[in-house]
Amino acid sequence: MEIGKEKIPTMTMKMEVKGNEQEGAEDVPPPIKRRLTMIIEVKDLVKKYDGHTALDGLNFNVEEGDIFGFLGPNGAGKTTTIRILTGIIRADSGQAMIGGHDVFRETMEVKKLINALPESNGYYEWMTACEYLWFFSKLYVVRTSRQEILMLLEGVGLNGRENHVIHSLSRGMKQRLGIARALINRPKLLFLDEPANGLDPGGRRDIHDLLTDLNRKHGTTIFLSTHLLDDVKRLCNKIAILNYGKIVRAGEVERLKGTVEDIFFMSTKEGAL
Amino acid sequence: MKTLYIMQKEIRESILTPKGFLWYILTSIILSVLSYLFLTNRELSLLDQGTMLYMIMNFITALGVLMGLVFGSDAFAGEIERGTLEALFLSPVNRMEIAAGKLGAVLTNWGIIFAVSLPYLFIVGKGGQNLLMGILYLGILGTLLSIIFSAFSMGLSARIKSMKNSLIISFFVFLLAGSPVFISAALRRTWFGRILDLVNPFADAVNTFDSVVIDSQGFSYQIGRVAIICVYTLLCIWFLKRSAVKLEM
Repeated sequence: MEIGKEKIPTMTMKMEVKGNEQEGAEDVPPPIKRRLTMIIEVKDLVKKYDGHTALDGLNFNVEEGDIFGFLGPNGAGKTTTIRILTGIIRADSGQAMIGGHDVFRETMEVKKLINALPESNGYYEWMTACEYLWFFSKLYVVRTSRQEILMLLEGVGLNGRENHVIHSLSRGMKQRLGIARALINRPKLLFLDEPANGLDPGGRRDIHDLLTDLNRKHGTTIFLSTHLLDDVKRLCNKIAILNYGKIVRAGEVERLKGTVEDIFFMSTKEGAL
Repeated sequence: MKTLYIMQKEIRESILTPKGFLWYILTSIILSVLSYLFLTNRELSLLDQGTMLYMIMNFITALGVLMGLVFGSDAFAGEIERGTLEALFLSPVNRMEIAAGKLGAVLTNWGIIFAVSLPYLFIVGKGGQNLLMGILYLGILGTLLSIIFSAFSMGLSARIKSMKNSLIISFFVFLLAGSPVFISAALRRTWFGRILDLVNPFADAVNTFDSVVIDSQGFSYQIGRVAIICVYTLLCIWFLKRSAVKLEM
């Protein structure tokens, strides 16, 4: 099945981070050109929970075609950011645009462009893998034949499991099924919140290959939230490090000075001070 | 259409399961025992058919409301606890469509209970003059009460996000609603009892059944009580809508 409609050309522009330290900012291209290729634009996003500030004026942009690593220690605000950008919760203030649509005002339009695999994704355990995907295809109003669902399952390495009840699938298989569900509407932008959590090395490698494939063959932009630095090194071309609800470092992985580990630990240490 | 797919999923999840069937088998067994006692027990069989019909109608209504409370409490809180709600909220379906699908499934459950109870109503009320009218009122008011209590518990489950707590609060409200039925006739005739009766949708339904089946009174006598039940229905739907829209995970 064709997952993306068209191949996205290779991007050469840089990510923009306002008000936060950023390396490689001198290469920022002209604004008009940049605006045309930004799939995520976040400006001054604030979210508070009972007085605790989860996001403290968050600013960042993501270009189409990127595999964007969103790193940060536990409680940094990664999941909150994803939930806001996917329209599940509202921010207290700030702006968020996805594919040129305002996340807060045009939520349904945004939801048609994106999909996500949440960190603690649950499954209707009594459904079969095929029924699960069919159910979500109906919610996305996507015309999906059984053949297409089988191809989607095959794409995530679940061929032959279509009639298996989800309850009987292993954790890794469920995670693959979750990814298949997240691809049901052929999203232009895919949010993944700790997709490799709890997977064995083989399962993690398979998911890495799948995501790389999705990005290269179909041009799907991937927003990967994780604290597994190994995943970031293998997959991402750009990263942003979040701590205490703020971006503390961002840029292209190759242009940032030092290893991902050094950048991460230094950044989170600086953010804490 | 999306509402229908969610409703279908809910029905498969809660009703078309071994546990769901067990509820209906249990309902059928209890109704069989009640009907048998009404017809064979020396003291109970002395009751007139209107009173027997009224008693069994109350039981069916209470059962429908109770099951509505259980399914309603699971609606949002249960899905949050199982981690399935986030994927549902990610899809381009608005919260009201999700709530409507879930409410539709609860009403389907009430429909099944009503259908299962029909043969028993006919057996117990056979020969009585208000049987069909009683069944009509049970169908209409039972449906409205199912909406009231299930929409309330669904709204509650969306707000407090804990199935256990929403179930406890819902049961407490149900007991409060049922309390006028359990208090003595003398107390019910006092000003306090009358107010409690009037503002309570469950008591309004039970009093309407009494008025229709036992006293053979027409619709003009029921307008006030039916209107109050309708107001509660609208209020609870509004509460559900507000709670579903405001739900944050």
